[in-house]
Amino acid sequence: MDISILKSLKPLRILKQELLFKLNGWTVVSLLVGLFIFFPIGEILLSMNSQSSNWSHLKETVLFTYFLNSFILVFGTAFISLIFGVSSAWLISNYQFKYGKILEWALVLPLAIPTYIAAYAYFDILELFNPLLVWVRNNINIEAMQLLNDSLVYFVTILVMSSVLFPYIYLLARSAFLKQGKQLRDAAKTLGYNEKSVFWKIALPMARPAIIAGVSLVVMETLNDYGAVKHFGIPTFTSGIFRTWLGMGDLVGALQLSAVLIFFIFLLLALEKQARSRSKYHDSLHSKPMSKKIILNKNKSTAAIACCLTPLILGFVIPLFRLMSWAWISRDKASALVSIEMISNSLGLSIISSISIVLIALLLVFTSRYFNSYVINFSNRLATLGYSIPGAVIAIGILLFTAQINAVTNFVLTGSLVLLVFAYIVRYLAVACQPINAGIETNCDSLNNASKSLGSSTYTSLRLVNIPLIKNTLITAGLLVFIDIIKELPLTLILRPFNFETLSTATFDLSSQAQIIEASLPALCMIAVVLVPLVYLNYRLDNSR
Amino acid sequence: MNELLKLQNISKTFRKNNIDALKNISFECAKGDVISIVGSSGSGKSTLLRIIAGLEIPDEGEIILEKNKINGSGIYLAPEKRNCSLVFQDFALFPNMSVKENIFFGKNASKNKSMIDELIEFTRIKNLLERFPHEISGGQQQRVALVRALSINPALLLLDEPLSHLDHELKHQVRNELKNLIKKVGATVLMVTHDTEDAMYMANKVLVLNNGVVDQVDSPASIFNFPLNSYVAGLFGKTNILPFKDFPFLDHHFFDKDRNEDVVSIRPHEFKLIDGNSSVEKPQIKGRVVSVDSLGPFLEVSIDTGKFELIVHVDRNQKIETDHDLSFYIEKK
Amino acid sequence: MKKLFTVLLTIFVSMNLQAQINIYSHRHYESDKILFKKFTDQTGIKINVIKGSADQLIERLVSEGNNSPADILLTVDAGRLYRAKAAGILQPVESKKMYENVPSSMRDPDGYWFGLTVRARVLVYSKERVKPSQLSTYEDLATRKWRGKIAVRSSSNIYNQSLMASMIEANGSRKALSWAKSVRKNMARAPRGSDRDQARAVAAGLADVAIMNTYYLGILANSSDAKDREVFKKVSVFFPNQEDRGTHINISGAGITKSSKNKKDAIRFLEFLTGPESQKTFGSVNYEYPIKIETNQSELLKSWGSFTYDTLNLSILGSNNAEAVKLFDKAGWE
Repeated sequence: MDISILKSLKPLRILKQELLFKLNGWTVVSLLVGLFIFFPIGEILLSMNSQSSNWSHLKETVLFTYFLNSFILVFGTAFISLIFGVSSAWLISNYQFKYGKILEWALVLPLAIPTYIAAYAYFDILELFNPLLVWVRNNINIEAMQLLNDSLVYFVTILVMSSVLFPYIYLLARSAFLKQGKQLRDAAKTLGYNEKSVFWKIALPMARPAIIAGVSLVVMETLNDYGAVKHFGIPTFTSGIFRTWLGMGDLVGALQLSAVLIFFIFLLLALEKQARSRSKYHDSLHSKPMSKKIILNKNKSTAAIACCLTPLILGFVIPLFRLMSWAWISRDKASALVSIEMISNSLGLSIISSISIVLIALLLVFTSRYFNSYVINFSNRLATLGYSIPGAVIAIGILLFTAQINAVTNFVLTGSLVLLVFAYIVRYLAVACQPINAGIETNCDSLNNASKSLGSSTYTSLRLVNIPLIKNTLITAGLLVFIDIIKELPLTLILRPFNFETLSTATFDLSSQAQIIEASLPALCMIAVVLVPLVYLNYRLDNSR
Repeated sequence: MNELLKLQNISKTFRKNNIDALKNISFECAKGDVISIVGSSGSGKSTLLRIIAGLEIPDEGEIILEKNKINGSGIYLAPEKRNCSLVFQDFALFPNMSVKENIFFGKNASKNKSMIDELIEFTRIKNLLERFPHEISGGQQQRVALVRALSINPALLLLDEPLSHLDHELKHQVRNELKNLIKKVGATVLMVTHDTEDAMYMANKVLVLNNGVVDQVDSPASIFNFPLNSYVAGLFGKTNILPFKDFPFLDHHFFDKDRNEDVVSIRPHEFKLIDGNSSVEKPQIKGRVVSVDSLGPFLEVSIDTGKFELIVHVDRNQKIETDHDLSFYIEKK
Repeated sequence: MKKLFTVLLTIFVSMNLQAQINIYSHRHYESDKILFKKFTDQTGIKINVIKGSADQLIERLVSEGNNSPADILLTVDAGRLYRAKAAGILQPVESKKMYENVPSSMRDPDGYWFGLTVRARVLVYSKERVKPSQLSTYEDLATRKWRGKIAVRSSSNIYNQSLMASMIEANGSRKALSWAKSVRKNMARAPRGSDRDQARAVAAGLADVAIMNTYYLGILANSSDAKDREVFKKVSVFFPNQEDRGTHINISGAGITKSSKNKKDAIRFLEFLTGPESQKTFGSVNYEYPIKIETNQSELLKSWGSFTYDTLNLSILGSNNAEAVKLFDKAGWE
């Protein structure tokens, strides 16, 4: 083979360039860190190769069921969340009505309630339908009752999850709608479009990338859920993974299921990226900010309020109310159920992890952008895969990983906080990387060029140019990660150290032992802890507009 | 050799769309030269500048700056180590630092304090030192960006569209000041611009980039009067591209690929109107007026000679009407 | 990094100065808290507990290997004790007392684990719609007459898997599979909820018979929630298979880990738990049968009557577990 042909091969040429010119302390460290974080995920992906003896059994019996159920849940939750999220975002951003301002920030509140707590707050909701079911059974037949029952289970699960996940779509859609210049809509109106068609034909398509991003978040969270599906009894991939691992004692089979799940998630992500990239809608450069909202008359106002209130009530007011009434009942046992230690565990763990994650994200993103390095960009993408992978699956990957280390170095890693923090890094790095990447791209890229041109060292650029300009972004990233970690359940359950209770694990333990009333206390503490940064974040985002 | 900068066979392909940005670019720059790089947008001008600054890496080729090879096979000197400085199109002033902090940010800036102070005086930004970039006007920002770039006493100053961000009224004044500043400092400058008038005003050499290839490097006068192809000719003003065989008496001609023949370029003002009465020794071109438009100080007349169409400029006092027959001779400088 | 290490080391050392044992436990009952405290009061040995699901605890023990700080693994079923032994994380116990206190079918034949309490998996039926004469065996639940009348929880639950394991042992895989298929067809609804939810379904009229563990009934009977007590009043207990092998039972048990650094204290603790005093506490506080079922003294449990139980060695529940799960999958019992 002629060497000149090899030389003209682009990827080889890029790699050669990278190796020759971009090898330095920053890139080497970033590469190592990125690959290390990717390692546990890589372990899981590798297991797709190995064949578990149970695989054919799994394929024949339950694989389809898991897939079908996961699909139904994902589709249903995405659909309902879309309706909740887009409708409220549209109303809030375009119309002025009574309580509109309050609703605007209140609609974020359901994010404080993780899916497993929402499920547990509604734990007995299916019992409400018992009289109806009995009636159907006695007056129609068994099959009808069973059909009704099954449908109800799906419907309730989807509704409960949507009511706490829709804010992801709400936030992104709202910001997209607000960015759309008023002029565009005015222009549309002069061309004969009424409100309705402006929404369907112009505003909605333009906001599509943001909405798709929001739906993708909802889908990830749905697939990640462990508590709600367990409670409502829907066998999904996650429960199947546990069942195979623990029920059949087949770790390899469980890993294979995980790999299949990850494969489909990546497929969805690729579809999402396709869908988003085709619509390269630039923010209208000359857009004027939304100054005037259309004022609604009394009837329409009431309708708008009702529309926004519904998801808010379902996703926040009712759960909170129920939890508070249960907490009131068990208030004497408060000190036994919730300890300062539990709270400080949750807080301490989250704070340390958030800071670590933000710092690592800063290093990785900065290095990638500053040196314009394809290699680091790639290793970053590997390192941030964890967010698309359910926490339970990551925990398995990490257990594998540590078992191997344990065998080699005789050092016990499981049960240490270090490992748990590492697990959080693997899972949540993406949450920090995304905003930091956007922040550096918007604020610092051209300034970094100027800095280089003026002869500054890398460290000087980072310290004097980047960090001061993205301070807000760093704080936002930290808060986002903090909120996610406090709420996190499956991963913490599996990897937590000796005698280490967090608010989320305490809630789950109590509720899974059917100590529903008592579980309300740690649950409420957790919600309170999340509400503070959540409201603060929302306030900051509002102000920055 | 007095050459400060030498480029040899620099090539670069854009990875995204697989388009060749630059193809085999070679040229030299002597100390004290002010070279304007012109070409339509997308012709790779800014990329070339960024490659020289070290912000992008070429696929092939060599660059030698001050007798040191800074780009070559296996060689790439990081931008912070190159002795050249780039002023960006949007100035890229650090928004979190004052004007003074911006100016003294450069690595060796503190060593050149007296020179910098002099520049600050010269550019009249002394009273802005404590302000922040968003508090000063576009023209002031440009001056700050220039002083900042000069603060590290670079061997080579690179300017990326320095005048594009300015209002039209401001432009001429700023252009003037920029030229004076360059002269005062005695800087060697590579300036990218899409405005050919600016290019000819500012520089002693003009480099024309056409789709990633160097079409011509020459003094402004030569570029204007003796373009090497139709693209260069048309870039610097209206011109008539006509077959050489019809104007054999002209010295300068070149080959046009599209028309596959030798052609000449005759600018509209180089056609001189022959009075009905006077006779002229030179070869005459006769034709009929198709249209007349007033363009302020002169009239633009479209002539049909039967063989081809011409655009000529005549004094506005002339009475020209359509369907008249006119005669011209050619006067080239 | 060095600092972190020294801190960890100090903590580790200081933790070892006081006599203590570390327990990985799946159980989270009031009774346990009471007993742990009693033990510490009597012996001065401190007890550290990490609670979790047995599956994850086992996984953790495997991962930790010889460096694990755990001394005892406490589970709520025999299947997982079997699995723990198979995974090589337990060690055999030499204690005459343990062998005396625990009946042979309720301990590992090689002495790797021992039962501490017993729970029976019984049929709970609606007083108004079902007569006890209609009930007989687990196998009978597969017959047509129960179409749409059975409530039972998910097959993911270990108690069902253990029951299935005993069915495989008693009737063979083929018959066990068809049993599971028919029972699934007879269910009033897709499996959902806990054992107590099945009783609630029966009380509400959705089903007529539920399969559940005895101690959950005890919890319903004594619940602070009036609704639950109502549920208890509407149902009754039936011990199946009295004419043949006896009702299926499971144990909550413990084993000592291979990596244990406090073996003597750990054995002492197990002997304490299997002693008469602790056994009484299990019964009265947690409604679990003692391992010597005949010595049962709890009023509530006595009210359900005495019964013969399946004397199958419970390690079989573990060895058949994987097969049980597979059969459930094939039967479509979610």
